[in-house]
Amino acid sequence: KTFGQKINLVRNNVTLEAALMEIQKQTGYNFFYSQELLKNAKPFDISVSNSSLKEVLAICFKGQPLTYILNKKTIVVKPADLKNIVQDITITGKVLDHQGLPLEGVSVKLKDANKETVTNQNGDYTISVPDGDAKLVFSFLGFESQEVTVGTQTSININLKTALSALEEVVVIGYGTVKKKDLTGSVSQVKSKEINAMPNANVLQALSGRAAGVQVRQGSGAPGSSSTVRIRGGNSILGSNEPLYVIDGFPVNGSPTQINNTDIESVEVLKDASATAIYGSRGANGVVLITTKKGKAGKTAVSFETSYGTQSLIKKLDLMNAKEYAIFYNEQRTNSNLTPFFSQAEIDGFGEGFDWQDFVFQKAPIRTTALNVNGGNEKTQFSVSGSAFGQNGIVKGSDYDRYSLVTSLNHKISDKFSLSFSSTLSKLSTERKDSGGGNRGNSMISAAVSAPPTLTPFNDDGSYRVLSTAYPFIATDIRNPINFINEQNSKIKANVVLANASINYNITPALQLKIAGGIENRDERTDTYTTTKFFASAGSANIFAGQFTSFLNENTLSYQKEFNKHSLNAVLGFTYQDFLNTGVSAGGTGFLSDNFESYDLGAAANPNVPGSSYIKSVLLSYLGRVNYSYDNKYLATVSLRRDGSSRYSEGSKWGYFPSAALAWRVSNEEFLKGNELISDLKLRTSFGVTGSQAINPYSTLNQLSAGRTIFNDAPYTTFAPGTVLASDLKWETTEQLDFGIDIGLLKNRFLLTADYYIKNTRDLLSNVILPSSLGYTSTIQNVGQIKNTGLELGLESNILKGAFNWDLNANIAFNRNKVIKLSKGDELLRDRVNLVVINDVTSILTEGKPVGTFWGYLEEGYDATGKIIFKDLDGDGTISQNDKTYIGNANPDFIYGLNSTMTFKNFELNLFFQGLQGNDIFNASSITNTLDYGFGLNMTQDVFDNRWTPQNAANAKYPKVSNATAVRVSDRLIEDGSYLRLKNVMLAYNLPKSILKTNWISKLTLYASGQNLFTSTNYSWWDPETNFRIDYHSYPNAKSITFGLRAGF
Amino acid sequence: KDLLEEEPKSLAVEVFYKTPQEVESAVNAIYPPIRTQMAEYVATLECHSDFLYGRGSWENISLYQGFNDTNTGRVVPFWNGFYTAIRNANLVIANSPDGAAYDSYKAEAKFLRAFAYFQLVRNWGAVPLRTELNMEQRDLAKSSVDDIYAFIEKDLLTAEMGLKPVATAAGRPTSGSAKTLLADVYLQMAKYPEAAAKANEVIQSNKYSLIQVTSKANIQDNIFGPTVNNSPEEVFYFKFSRLTNEGNYLLFIVNHPSTGLFGFPGAYAVHGNKTNPIFVNWNANDLRKSLYDNINFGLGANTLVTSKFVDKLATTNRTAGNDNTVYRYADVLLIYAEAAARAENNVSPAALEALNKVKRRAYGYNPAVPSVVDYTAADYATTPFLDLIMKERVYEFAFEGKRWLELKRTGKASELVLANKGKTILPKHLLWPIPLGEIDYNDALDPVTDQNPGY
Repeated sequence: KTFGQKINLVRNNVTLEAALMEIQKQTGYNFFYSQELLKNAKPFDISVSNSSLKEVLAICFKGQPLTYILNKKTIVVKPADLKNIVQDITITGKVLDHQGLPLEGVSVKLKDANKETVTNQNGDYTISVPDGDAKLVFSFLGFESQEVTVGTQTSININLKTALSALEEVVVIGYGTVKKKDLTGSVSQVKSKEINAMPNANVLQALSGRAAGVQVRQGSGAPGSSSTVRIRGGNSILGSNEPLYVIDGFPVNGSPTQINNTDIESVEVLKDASATAIYGSRGANGVVLITTKKGKAGKTAVSFETSYGTQSLIKKLDLMNAKEYAIFYNEQRTNSNLTPFFSQAEIDGFGEGFDWQDFVFQKAPIRTTALNVNGGNEKTQFSVSGSAFGQNGIVKGSDYDRYSLVTSLNHKISDKFSLSFSSTLSKLSTERKDSGGGNRGNSMISAAVSAPPTLTPFNDDGSYRVLSTAYPFIATDIRNPINFINEQNSKIKANVVLANASINYNITPALQLKIAGGIENRDERTDTYTTTKFFASAGSANIFAGQFTSFLNENTLSYQKEFNKHSLNAVLGFTYQDFLNTGVSAGGTGFLSDNFESYDLGAAANPNVPGSSYIKSVLLSYLGRVNYSYDNKYLATVSLRRDGSSRYSEGSKWGYFPSAALAWRVSNEEFLKGNELISDLKLRTSFGVTGSQAINPYSTLNQLSAGRTIFNDAPYTTFAPGTVLASDLKWETTEQLDFGIDIGLLKNRFLLTADYYIKNTRDLLSNVILPSSLGYTSTIQNVGQIKNTGLELGLESNILKGAFNWDLNANIAFNRNKVIKLSKGDELLRDRVNLVVINDVTSILTEGKPVGTFWGYLEEGYDATGKIIFKDLDGDGTISQNDKTYIGNANPDFIYGLNSTMTFKNFELNLFFQGLQGNDIFNASSITNTLDYGFGLNMTQDVFDNRWTPQNAANAKYPKVSNATAVRVSDRLIEDGSYLRLKNVMLAYNLPKSILKTNWISKLTLYASGQNLFTSTNYSWWDPETNFRIDYHSYPNAKSITFGLRAGF
Repeated sequence: KDLLEEEPKSLAVEVFYKTPQEVESAVNAIYPPIRTQMAEYVATLECHSDFLYGRGSWENISLYQGFNDTNTGRVVPFWNGFYTAIRNANLVIANSPDGAAYDSYKAEAKFLRAFAYFQLVRNWGAVPLRTELNMEQRDLAKSSVDDIYAFIEKDLLTAEMGLKPVATAAGRPTSGSAKTLLADVYLQMAKYPEAAAKANEVIQSNKYSLIQVTSKANIQDNIFGPTVNNSPEEVFYFKFSRLTNEGNYLLFIVNHPSTGLFGFPGAYAVHGNKTNPIFVNWNANDLRKSLYDNINFGLGANTLVTSKFVDKLATTNRTAGNDNTVYRYADVLLIYAEAAARAENNVSPAALEALNKVKRRAYGYNPAVPSVVDYTAADYATTPFLDLIMKERVYEFAFEGKRWLELKRTGKASELVLANKGKTILPKHLLWPIPLGEIDYNDALDPVTDQNPGY
């Protein structure tokens, strides 16, 4: 019989005798003991697999009044000598840093036991251990932890190495990487853990509140909707103010919503010109670099994550009930010299009525699942992830699903050559509902608020009630939301591929050539179908299919050399990228059956004119950058990019985008070395020029567009210019100056970063309005200048450490935006709302004021008949456009985020707050449901309670209710959009090994979290977060409760 | 460098207008900017009339107190549409090659340019006169009303010569269309002999006739019906079809869902009232009177909704096939009758016959044969005869956008609006406000003195 070297034993409440018999069976060792002796032994739990005899015996005899002697293959059990039980070994020693200086406060911990001490000011410590197998763990913030087995030693001295801490970490920058401590520019890093702190549909939402100066606005709570991101304010009037997104070195088109958050290793936000100028004409709005997970040499690691959440509407609007509705509209008719519609008996019969909000909104699930396998050896490393994200919307019938597969591969071909490849394949599908916008209840969201509570969605026979003819005074536009829920759908399907490959050639150890090629391809198709059961519909189908392809070639030469105290790092490159967009659309109306949906357009009685399009642009670039540092104290970066874009006029196609930065690591100077308080100090300054491709391709060409007209009863083709007159255009450029300081205090327990910047954008491309008699309504010109100035503060801190650990990160940013110059001083009136009752512009672009200044009338209470009095600013006795003035500012005073993580033993509590302060919102949604009294729309409870009546004239908040109530774009519609929101609260529990009782799971975390559970705001409508500038019946955000699991194998 | 050259898959102004086919497609482009505005334009004009009323947001127009913001905004697309059409016409006139092959295209462009200016000058008064010579000049002062009429006359005289008697497709102007428009312009200019002469040329061409009807359904189907094309009554129409988004939007504006006459629920935004004296005094035997249904949809028991335009097969608000009947032969006859009577200060037999043809047809008789409903010369002096024509015109052309401009032309707007609707017209209501997009961005205009009075 052969015996195993290792023991497997899992038993609860086992007697010592039974355990020893089992050990004997497995190992062949013999035990000697008296039954008498074992009576004193306590039963215990044991769970070991593949463990050594010694380990197992240690568990068996732990806390027993017995001990054993091992002699060859025999084990003798004997009573424990009281002195022998505490036969601990006392260990003393000293902990020093890499320079040999003593470290105070280093944690010295006995591994797998609840025993710990810290070093004194001389770095000395004393700790007792049970035996020579004990392991000591030395850990200290900012240093790498070290583990030592005691063995026969009684004195252990340790030199701790500086950890790859915050400052040693590598930060990705454009066309390279740099250690955080060597940064000369302003770069914020957001790590995987923060990005995955809560279920977010995309990385943009996950960035909200995480980096100073980065404002993420979610325009809609609809599943699959993108967010807008502003880094240090907006620079452009005409063009996009979105940053450039670069995934693994590939500058992608638009927002990177195809990437699953669990696949992201880190996100770097480049903010100042020194960091962004290397992206030249695309850097003006900042650059967001996304790095996906890469394989690591070593044991193959598998990680799995899943979560399930339930979302619901954050708040319901308080609306009139059925009885109040009837009273309200009777009063409206009386005030309009019409006979009341509802009889007293009817009014008395109405109660609360029907709740249309409950009808339209639902509780909806959100699910995430991700699996990653990565590993490799010295030659080849790989990482493969698969993930699924599924979100149903809180508006019935809307959803978003994403499946993605991410692969990365690195292979060293020889000492000279290496290959790397990464790819992301994503499949997206969304069902959208016609939910936002609209007027007088003709969109789903608007109808949810506007529909009369006196009516229900269905007639007695089960057919859909037609709201628009239900009452003689009701709006012809209003639609029963059941139409949108059941009879209209819009599906978007997209397959997105991003693939990148590169060959690296080490010409010399210092000089490396990299040739990279990549392709981004997005195929998408939108199918929209309105059934024949939809109100007044004969069936209508539309299809749009589009393909976007971008091809990238980058050729870069990198040089890295250190000699004496000099360190030089340079990159030189040439890149080509093209962008091709093609699309085709078709549709038709009049379907015999709803079976076809949009999948047999040939069945349409009236086919639409099909459309197709082709847009191509090319960007050629030369780039170069030199990083130089002397003695780790003085750092300098100089870069230059020359971009040529096909979009601009002949002679203006090329632009130069230079930058320079200087940094001084003061803490490496002799006078600060060893300073107790200041452990790190760096001063930075940079200046640079970046550009923006604000115009669409072909904007400088006088193109003709095709159209149709009818002769006989047949279509004829027409060709004429559009309404925008082409003109000669050049680059829009932004100059940015930045001053920054990075401070580490108390051995970097507190890391503070502050930046002050001034951004000037000149040659601002803008739509210039032309006299309409010209036949063109506008043209684009390089006019104007905008200035953004701001201050950003970021703090990373470790407030408490030890068994109870508390990390607190906070950021706050102040940005001020101002229009400096516009064409001929023209005031551009913008952001028109078309709500029939108000059909006017809401904001103004004018010199000296920020972009997003609201423009309208001022109110001065009510006259004797309950009409709103508008302030006659020009005093001409009538209210006209000349009485408009500045009534608000959409820009926040500051934006902030606060992230607190507390850990105690196996528990982790995370709180994440995010907020905006001082921004105004133009609440266009409220026009319909607080002021548009002529059309039978439901109103808020506030209107019912505080409307003007002769009895309630003094305290009225709303005018007299009639079918001719006159309203205008006025200050009443401007609301404070400030909010503080608990974006996420999470309690996680890391299951200890003793509970897991298996070796194949290395880590298992269970968590429960809540998103958007608490919001502090004075904003009256659904949600201040989804409404930047204008709230126009937007899809509201949801709150949710999520449960999840993370496991590592 | 070649990599950065833009090569769109489209055409550019610089390389176009080189062949008859290209020029024809450029001429076609003059139509849509006007055509797509015609329904709202007609409805807006009808709200001003002494017979019809605007509901909801249109009601303000029918109050005659000047335009509120909503209606100030409502007329902006009309202005923009007419001027976009003028630009497209100017591009054709400026760029098309010389030669006989192009003459009719240039004539067509001039006809449409004149049509657009005729609308502009009557509703806004003096306006900037954009021609092929100053089409790229950003800032352009207004031209006087007289100069604009002179320009229109010149364009139409050229168009009359260049256009063919029979068009290549229904919906394109003929020489008859040009003569008719010119006759209307002359009438407006009070050049009565010229107006009568031009209208008479159209009558004498014997190319047009009135369609005989015997029932309400005949009028709905045979004159205004959705599939009527190239009818003998068609002098110049903007054509619509049931193709998606190519239909006449007017049906949506005026219809009420309860009539079932329009395949899509209407907005009944312009309506009549059965207590209006024009309706009260309307002979019940006149088939045209039957085109009004009494429907109380919340505005009172006397509300009238028109059934003049019917398309039960329309599937959306822009798929009704009914044409916009800009100039029907009935208009030619009545222009002739009025112009002749004014020119001669006498009721000639020809003028009387022209009026009688229109009336006979409306009562179900053969328009060409004298009938019992005929007016006789002995009964009417010139002035009562002119009143008679005005009465005939409101019956004949209601919902065709003619009445308000006629009230202004004859100087009877205040009198008849007061008599028929009981409303007093504020003087500022007579001209529409010039859009801010023009006043603010055309530096040759003074925002105060060049804006129309009251705005």
